[in-house]
Amino acid sequence: MTTAPTVRRSELETPIQVFQPHKASLPPMRPYLREFWRRRRFAYELSRTTQKADHFDSAIGKVWLILNPLLLSLVYFLLLEVIGHSNAGLAGFLRIVIALFTWYFAMSCMTAGATSVTAGGKLILNQAFPRALLPFSSCITAFLNYLPTIPVYLVMYALGLWIVPARDYNPLVTGVTPAEKSIESALAGPSWVLLWQIPLVILLAISGFGLAMIFATMTVYYRDTTKFLAYILRIWLYLSPVLYTATTLEQKFNGPHHHLPHNLGTLMLYGNPLGPALAIMGNIWFEGIPPSVASVVGAIVWAIVLIVVGGYFFISRERDFAVRL
Amino acid sequence: MQFDSNLAVQVEDVTIRYRATYEANPTIRNAVLKWGKRGQRSKKGVRIIEAVKGVSFDVPHGTVLGIVGANGAGKSTLMRAMAGILSPTEGRIIVNGRLSTLLALGVGFNGFLSGRENIMLGCLAAGMPMDRIQEKYDEITEFAELGDFIDLPMRTYSSGMYGRLAFSVSINMDPDILLIDEALSAGDAAFKEKSFAKMKELCAQARTIIIVSHALGTIQELCSDAIWMHKGELIRQGRPEDISDEYLRFLNIGESVLALEDV
Repeated sequence: MTTAPTVRRSELETPIQVFQPHKASLPPMRPYLREFWRRRRFAYELSRTTQKADHFDSAIGKVWLILNPLLLSLVYFLLLEVIGHSNAGLAGFLRIVIALFTWYFAMSCMTAGATSVTAGGKLILNQAFPRALLPFSSCITAFLNYLPTIPVYLVMYALGLWIVPARDYNPLVTGVTPAEKSIESALAGPSWVLLWQIPLVILLAISGFGLAMIFATMTVYYRDTTKFLAYILRIWLYLSPVLYTATTLEQKFNGPHHHLPHNLGTLMLYGNPLGPALAIMGNIWFEGIPPSVASVVGAIVWAIVLIVVGGYFFISRERDFAVRL
Repeated sequence: MQFDSNLAVQVEDVTIRYRATYEANPTIRNAVLKWGKRGQRSKKGVRIIEAVKGVSFDVPHGTVLGIVGANGAGKSTLMRAMAGILSPTEGRIIVNGRLSTLLALGVGFNGFLSGRENIMLGCLAAGMPMDRIQEKYDEITEFAELGDFIDLPMRTYSSGMYGRLAFSVSINMDPDILLIDEALSAGDAAFKEKSFAKMKELCAQARTIIIVSHALGTIQELCSDAIWMHKGELIRQGRPEDISDEYLRFLNIGESVLALEDV
């Protein structure tokens, strides 16, 4: 279908654009990325105004952004306490809260991103612009929704530490690995390792954008992707080290198997696009230790793979979107 | 790239085909079911529509080009291709200058947002910097004569207000090339007059305008050149008076011609 290479004849003149057929391949990436960057304000304003419109008829509006993951945490906490016979108490609840706040960020990149293109139908039919701005805008929304959950969590965490004394789980200090103690019933104390949350969120944002582009493209071709997505995400959550730690996952599934590889747990952890990143979260918040090199490398590799694959999948097909809507 | 710099738009042997599915919504279920009976897949549910067939024409700078044609002539598809929204299946389109598009659906893509926010988003998507939008803002609202409605959600607008806003956004973006798809019909007589005046002003500044309209009066009054399309093909290009005469003549006897074709 078309490519629109922008050729500048001179500095002052307006660009000449050529629209011509293309096979399912990428448009020239340099002008694409330049146009994308030039319109970054559009992505931000689209996110801001759409959010405003979304909370238009809700009585407590934006409070839901915090209430949602909090209530969900309560649900999972009860589930683990009652059905799972966990005995984690307040510390367990606080851990579920931070884990779900972080998971929620990655998840809302995907859910909002999946419908971003189909919801922007009129805009797509009437304006030519880099379509990747639409899922990008969804990720901005997810990030803006994630931000206010941080202070909420910090307050809860401080209160939790006051009630439940922190235990030192640094294995280097105690000589005992976290797994040997009942780590479910304790909070790791505040330390500098918590600052790993910042690069973690950046890695999750990049991965989330890549995944948003993948699901947005799939939704254009198959509208019921969004319906499946709800279940995919739930299963994904249970398979990821969110409600439990990566250590638990590896211990549970590694070992002698008849038909499956012996390192099944490790494969499940690193084969999961969000696995290594979420393992970092468990390390810093639950165990109070710096993340392992493997999980940091894994998270970076997955972020790059997702943004490249997602970007290719989306951008190579985006010129087809106008006739698919 | 050889390109005559006197031309604003050069359309070279453009063909646009797209696949249309009979299903209201493409779903995984349907895809799986169809995949099961592969042999019938190509015939069932999908039709290739050739909306534009090998069309070529040049639009020099400063031309006001009118495009006429019956429903389904491929006018809107061609406009979208010139705007870079749809891509030609064959041939190519070269556009020299900044485009502003006013296509059938207008700017208001989110009815829950106010006119003000829709203007801002439309302009940002078109690549306008925020400070220029704020500069242009008063001009746009004043021209659209929306008054207090500008801060109300667009779902509360009448269709006339909708069209007026869309038109004034497009025309106030200082485009080199303005594409208008049947938008003049939106306003009342007074607004139409104002739009005419504004468009003539743009013509005087040697801007290029391409108008799709069913109102032959508009075409004759505004345009310096005209094209008649039918079923995706370019039938004739010429002076607006001649083209509308021919088109009218065709419409009068056209019914019977088409009726014969259908047999």
